[in-house]
Amino acid sequence: MFYRRAGIRHTRYQDERQLFPLAFDRGLILTVLAVLLAAPILFDRLWLTGYLLPWLIWTSAALGLNLLMGWAGQIHLGYGAVMGIGAYTGVHLVRFGVPLEIAMIAGGIMSAGIGTVFGAAALRMKGIYLAMATLAMQFIVDFVISHNAAISGGTLATLQVPSVRFLGVPLTSDWATYYFALFVCFVITLFMLNVKRTSFGRALAALREKDYAAQILGVSTFRYKLMAFWVSSFIGGVVGTVLAVAYLRAVSPDQFHLELSIQILAMIIVGGLGSVLGPFFGTALILFAPIVLNNMLGSVAATFGLDLPIDMRAHLPLLAYGLLVIGFLLYEPLGLAKLYANFRNYMLVWPFRHAQR
Amino acid sequence: MSIDRRSFIAGTAAVAAQFGFASRVYAEDKIVRFTIAQDFTRIYTFVTSEYNQGQRDYFALVNERGGVGGYKIVADVTDHANDLPRAIEAYERGKREGAVLIDPLSTPVARALVPRALEDKINMITAYSGRSDAADGTAFPYVLPLSINYWTQAGLIIENFKKTEKGSLKGKKIVFVHIDTPFGKEPLSILQVLAQKEGFELLTFPYTPPGNDQSAIWPQVRRARPDFVIFWGAGVGQTVALTEAIRNGLPMDRVSSSVWLSESDMDVVGRDAAKGVMKVEPCVGGREPKIIKDILAEVVGKGKGAGPEAKVGTAYYNYGVQMGALMVEGVRLAAAKAPNGPVTGPWLNDGLRSITNFTAEGLLPPTTVTREDHQGGGMGRISRWDGAKFVPVTDWFSANQDVVWGEIKKNSETFKTTGK
Repeated sequence: MFYRRAGIRHTRYQDERQLFPLAFDRGLILTVLAVLLAAPILFDRLWLTGYLLPWLIWTSAALGLNLLMGWAGQIHLGYGAVMGIGAYTGVHLVRFGVPLEIAMIAGGIMSAGIGTVFGAAALRMKGIYLAMATLAMQFIVDFVISHNAAISGGTLATLQVPSVRFLGVPLTSDWATYYFALFVCFVITLFMLNVKRTSFGRALAALREKDYAAQILGVSTFRYKLMAFWVSSFIGGVVGTVLAVAYLRAVSPDQFHLELSIQILAMIIVGGLGSVLGPFFGTALILFAPIVLNNMLGSVAATFGLDLPIDMRAHLPLLAYGLLVIGFLLYEPLGLAKLYANFRNYMLVWPFRHAQR
Repeated sequence: MSIDRRSFIAGTAAVAAQFGFASRVYAEDKIVRFTIAQDFTRIYTFVTSEYNQGQRDYFALVNERGGVGGYKIVADVTDHANDLPRAIEAYERGKREGAVLIDPLSTPVARALVPRALEDKINMITAYSGRSDAADGTAFPYVLPLSINYWTQAGLIIENFKKTEKGSLKGKKIVFVHIDTPFGKEPLSILQVLAQKEGFELLTFPYTPPGNDQSAIWPQVRRARPDFVIFWGAGVGQTVALTEAIRNGLPMDRVSSSVWLSESDMDVVGRDAAKGVMKVEPCVGGREPKIIKDILAEVVGKGKGAGPEAKVGTAYYNYGVQMGALMVEGVRLAAAKAPNGPVTGPWLNDGLRSITNFTAEGLLPPTTVTREDHQGGGMGRISRWDGAKFVPVTDWFSANQDVVWGEIKKNSETFKTTGK
């Protein structure tokens, strides 16, 4: 219906080579982009800073982890630490007066450097063993940060982020931080969309499926595994700086614990491993389902005068949220992105049921 | 009897309309809105529920009596689960709905909200959480601990030890067992200064969060043969620490903790086994204070209590009442200064920062909050667990405030110069 795929065939190579070959997809993307660009005008402050901003930042982070886990198939349980390294590097540099643009990149490079050192473990181990190695990274980094007053910022262990500028715009107002996060998320998304079309992306896919088969095919597993860790940690570091500057505004070691790693891991698993759209959906679900369920329950209780004990009110959404996640893993293990893909595939050839092969 | 869809919808709509109407009548009252977003589910669990129960029971008491200064208190309670996006969302939502105060009861959340609260001029209560240097009201006008911070608590404990040793700690050995997080390490700087000043030896033993297993630490503590032990944590780490201290045969009457020790902790440890252990008390515990009696008669007695009656009067419950009372006193003073509002952050801030000699009818030590001192004077007392309840061993007192304020000034100066 919408997609009008049936019967359309590409006649030029560049048509087929586009990121979005279907006109409807392009329209949809442009509409979403337009809404996101106009968001400061369309939505009020609560929506902008309470929902859209964390959504964009966490999505950017999830995209970075997805490159490693979804594309290259390397398990990483220490992504929160990677972001922490980036955040601390970035904030320290900004406090020294380094421009944010450079501090961001430096945060990324620092994360990439340390992340790759730990990622080198992946050359020797796989699966659950690699998970343990990266988990160790999480704890080591946590430990180093909180035990170094020079890094964490003295007895109170909080580093305030001074007001900064990005490309000449001071990041003080809500809309400035929002556009900053949107820009970073846009760049990362664009990169991720293109990665799978490059030889790098294909090599990662080969690695994911079977690393020694990939080696036999001529893909250097040594090089590409390290590259996967490097690129994904770089993204994590940059997003860590963005998180600190645009959202938290004060960094402390509590913010980059294992919980953050697990949260981002959950986002890409629920959203869909190895897809670009998945992290967007997964982030929305993981970040906001508890909030929305909590508020819904609260307003239902308030309207109907129910006297729910607060402990119950706090735990019921958790229960519902857990059921939701289990439901996804049971009925759609490929995640939310697959649900959308199912719908899209169905609509591509509608009113017919099956596409011709 | 079967209900068809039409009558169900009509009935629901009628009920909803009624409630809508009821809430509109309520909305015509002059109200002061508080955002009470706390962690009910992740780390602090029962600590939060008891604290929160006390707060809400106190607000109910105030509203039952017709409010304060012509205003009713509306407290929006939500769960932020110690998760920053959720806490920031709750903060922003509260702000949109006109909340003039937020009480997050969480150190990480409070630290992340500091820049926002200062910028938006929303009063953030950081009782027993957040930054200790927020006691300096000149650097943090909108961050209000309103209670003895961790540095003062450490100072009180050392002072009490000194009293036990008849005035001198010279050559004594004091062990500090703490959770290895910024919160756990916070008192270290004070203890180090005091160790130099008083001439005692300070040994520190950190345990890894969340502190479920401390069996490696406590034998070392025993072997160090300390004269006194201070243990520092919150939630699960506290009960584990106390259990291990008992198992290693440390004399309980020489073991002390911060404000984080309650009857509920003792139920876990064993009420008799823990006999003798000390803690810092910021307000009176138990059901004797007049306010608690009033709550029992006018709120809980009428079936309007926010939680189980058995928890009324426990340590954390009374902390909640203490904070509720201080907030409401702030509203009363603000309303006395500017009866017609408008109800804004600065309006309430004015009230909160002019609380003078407030004792909440005997629940608190005399508390005076000024524009410079957000700690409220720094008075507390030490009390000892006798197997059934905490019995005060000292009167309200204040100690080592010169050292504490030195540290506060040092940190708040750094915040003032680099934080902006």
